[in-house]
Amino acid sequence: MNFEKVVFGFFIVLSLTLNFGFFLGEMDNPEHHNVFELFAIIVVNFIATGLKLGDRSQIGAVLLATSLVADLHLVAAATYWTVVIHVTETGLTPDVMVSIISLSGGALLANFISVIILVSDTLMSRL
Amino acid sequence: MAESTDLSRVSFIVMREMRRPVMALITVYAVSILGMVFIPGHEVGGKPQYLSVFHAFYFMTYTATTTGFGEIPFEFNDAQRLWAMVCLYVSVITWFYAIGSIVRLFQNPFFVRAVEERKFSRQVLRISEPYFIICGFGDTGSVLARGLSDYGVPAVFIDGDEDRIRALTLRDYRVPMPGLCADASVPKHLLEAGIRRRNCQAIVAITNNEEINLKISALARLLNPSIRIITLSKVDVFEETLANLGGEVHIVDPFKMFAKVLVTTMTHPSFYPLNNWLVRAPRVRLSDAIKPPFGKWIVCGYGRMGHEINHALVKQGMKTVVIDPHDCSEEEGIDSYIVGRTTAKTLAQAGIENAVGILAGTDDDGHNLGILLNARKLNGNLFTLVRQNRHENRIAFEASQIDMIMQPTLVTARRVLFLLVAPLLKPFFQHLLKDEPGRKEDMAKVIQQLEQKIGRRQPHLITVDIERDRCSAVAACLEEGEQVLLGDILKHPDNFNRKLDLIAFVVKSGEVISVLPPDDYRIKVGDQILFCGTGASRRLLNATLNNEYNLFYVRNGVHLPKGYFMRWYAQRQNRPVA
Repeated sequence: MNFEKVVFGFFIVLSLTLNFGFFLGEMDNPEHHNVFELFAIIVVNFIATGLKLGDRSQIGAVLLATSLVADLHLVAAATYWTVVIHVTETGLTPDVMVSIISLSGGALLANFISVIILVSDTLMSRL
Repeated sequence: MAESTDLSRVSFIVMREMRRPVMALITVYAVSILGMVFIPGHEVGGKPQYLSVFHAFYFMTYTATTTGFGEIPFEFNDAQRLWAMVCLYVSVITWFYAIGSIVRLFQNPFFVRAVEERKFSRQVLRISEPYFIICGFGDTGSVLARGLSDYGVPAVFIDGDEDRIRALTLRDYRVPMPGLCADASVPKHLLEAGIRRRNCQAIVAITNNEEINLKISALARLLNPSIRIITLSKVDVFEETLANLGGEVHIVDPFKMFAKVLVTTMTHPSFYPLNNWLVRAPRVRLSDAIKPPFGKWIVCGYGRMGHEINHALVKQGMKTVVIDPHDCSEEEGIDSYIVGRTTAKTLAQAGIENAVGILAGTDDDGHNLGILLNARKLNGNLFTLVRQNRHENRIAFEASQIDMIMQPTLVTARRVLFLLVAPLLKPFFQHLLKDEPGRKEDMAKVIQQLEQKIGRRQPHLITVDIERDRCSAVAACLEEGEQVLLGDILKHPDNFNRKLDLIAFVVKSGEVISVLPPDDYRIKVGDQILFCGTGASRRLLNATLNNEYNLFYVRNGVHLPKGYFMRWYAQRQNRPVA
C-alpha cells in the first residue's frame, strides 16, 4: 500500500462526494443548500489542487487542469453568494440560488472527470 | 520547397487558363451595365427614369445567370427590353464559355496530376514521425503496408499503376499511408515523397521491374547520401552495381534467401518455425520444428528458384535430380538432368522411390500442386517443398499439408518489413546461427523463453532507440549521470518483483553489437535495443521509458512522490525524492 496514493485518492474522492451533497436538493431553494458545505468543498478542493501541484507526468497535468476548473466554478459560486448577502443585500432569491447551484454542478462535473482519470490511471499502465 | 513549386504551378495553371473567360465576362458585364444605365426608361412626372449602376448590376446578375427575376425596380420600356435581350444572350453564352473552360481545365490530365502531386507532397509533409518511402504497391507492397500498419509506422507509396494507388487509398491503415501514381524513377517524385526529409529513414524499391529498382536505388543515393536503401533484385549483374552505391544498401532476393533458410533449417530445425512465428504466420507454433532430410532431392522446374535451391543442396553435399522442359547447358553438380515436363513418368525416371525430398518450383501454381500429388503417390514419405506464386491460391496450398511453402512475394515483404522495423534482427540470427560452440544452446534457450513468455500470443518486435525524443525519462536519467540497467526496464511498472513479457534480443551500442545482453547491461545514450514481446508489454515498456515516475519505481522499487507537498513530506521522512 502506498501512503501517497491513499491521501491523494482520499481528497479527490472527498471533493467529489461533498460537491455532490451540496448539489443535491431543489435548485432554487436555499434551505436545501448549506453554506458550510460549500465552504468545506472549497477547502477540500484547494487541498486536492495543492496535492496535484508539481507532478511532471502527463496524467498529472490533466488532473491539475480538472482541479483548477472545479476551483474556478466554486470560487465563482462563493463570490456570488457573498455579494448577494453582504453587498447588494438582496438575499438568496431563487434566481440567485439557481446560478450558484449550476456553478457547483460544473464543479461536480470537473471533480467527476478527476475521479475517472484517477481510477483509469490506477487500472491501466501509467504513462 | 517541393510544395511551393507545386503550389505555384497549380495556381499558375488556373490563372492562365481562366484569363480569357474572366476578361470576356468583365467586358460583357461592363458593356451591358453601361447600356442599361444610359437607356432612358418610362417617364414619371415628365422625367425619364434611369437605372442606377447598382440596379443595372443587379439586373445583370440574375439575367446572366438565367435566374430571371423580372423587370426590377420598375417596368422596362421597349428600348430597355431590346437591350436586355442582347445582354441576356451574350452574357449567358459568355458564362457557358467560362464554365466550360473551368470544366475543361479540371478534366485536363496534366492539371489533375499537378493537383494530385501537390496533395501527395502535402500529406508527406504532414508526417512528423520516422517513415519510409516504398516504390511499388504490388502484392509485396500490399503485404508490407499491412505489416507496417500493424507496427504503427507510416510509409509513402509510389506506384505507376493508378488502380493500385486507388486500392491503397481504400485500405484501413492505422497510420497515414499516402500514395502517388507516378514513375518512381523520376527524381521529382522521389523529392515529393520527401527523400531529403530528415525523418525519412529508408527507401524500398520493390517494383516488378528490376531495372527500375536499380535506377531508383541509384537516384536515392544521389539525392540523399545517408538514406538506407532496400532493393528487390534477382539478377547478379545489378547486385554488383547496387553494392557499389555506398552507404547502407540491402539487396533482397527471395529465392536466394529461401535457399539460405532451407540450408539453415537443415542444421537448425527450430529456425524455420521461429522465423515464421516472428512474422506472425497463421497457425505456426514455436515447437513445430521441421528438418529437411539429407539424401537425394528431386528439383522440378529449373528456373530461378530451382537454380538457387539446387545450388544450396549441392553445396550441402546432396544428390539432386533436375526435371525441366528446357535443356540446360551448365549443370552445376547435378546428378542427372531430365528434359521434359514433370509427370509420373519423369518422376519415376528420376528415381523418386529412393528420393528424400522434392521441390515443386515452377512458376505455375496448378502445375506445382500437380507435381506434389504425383510425387506423393509414388513416394509417401517425401519432404515437400512447394513454390506458391499467387496469393489467392493460399487455401489450396494450406490444405495440401506441405512441409515448406515458398511464396516469393511474402518472403520479400517479410524480409523488408524486418529490415525496416527491426534492423537488429539480422545480426541476431547471424550470431545464433554461427557454427560455434554454445550457439545451439542459446537458440534453444531463446525459443524456450519465447514459448514461456509469449507462447500463443502475437509476438511484437520492438526496436528502442535510447534518445531524448523516444525515451525521455531514460535519456534524462542517463544525462544526469545515473545508471539504468537493462534488467530495470524489463521490470513490470506495477510490480517491482514481476518481469514484463519481454526478451532483449540485441543491443547495439555504437558499432558494438551484443546478442542476448545480460540484465546488468548498462544502457547508454544512443543505444539501439531490440526486444521481442507481447503487445501489452510493449505499451508498458514504453511507459517505463518515458515516464520518470515509472522509471524510478522499476529502478528502486519505491514510488517517487508526485507533487510538491508529497515531496516535502517524503523529504521530512528521509525517503528518496528524486
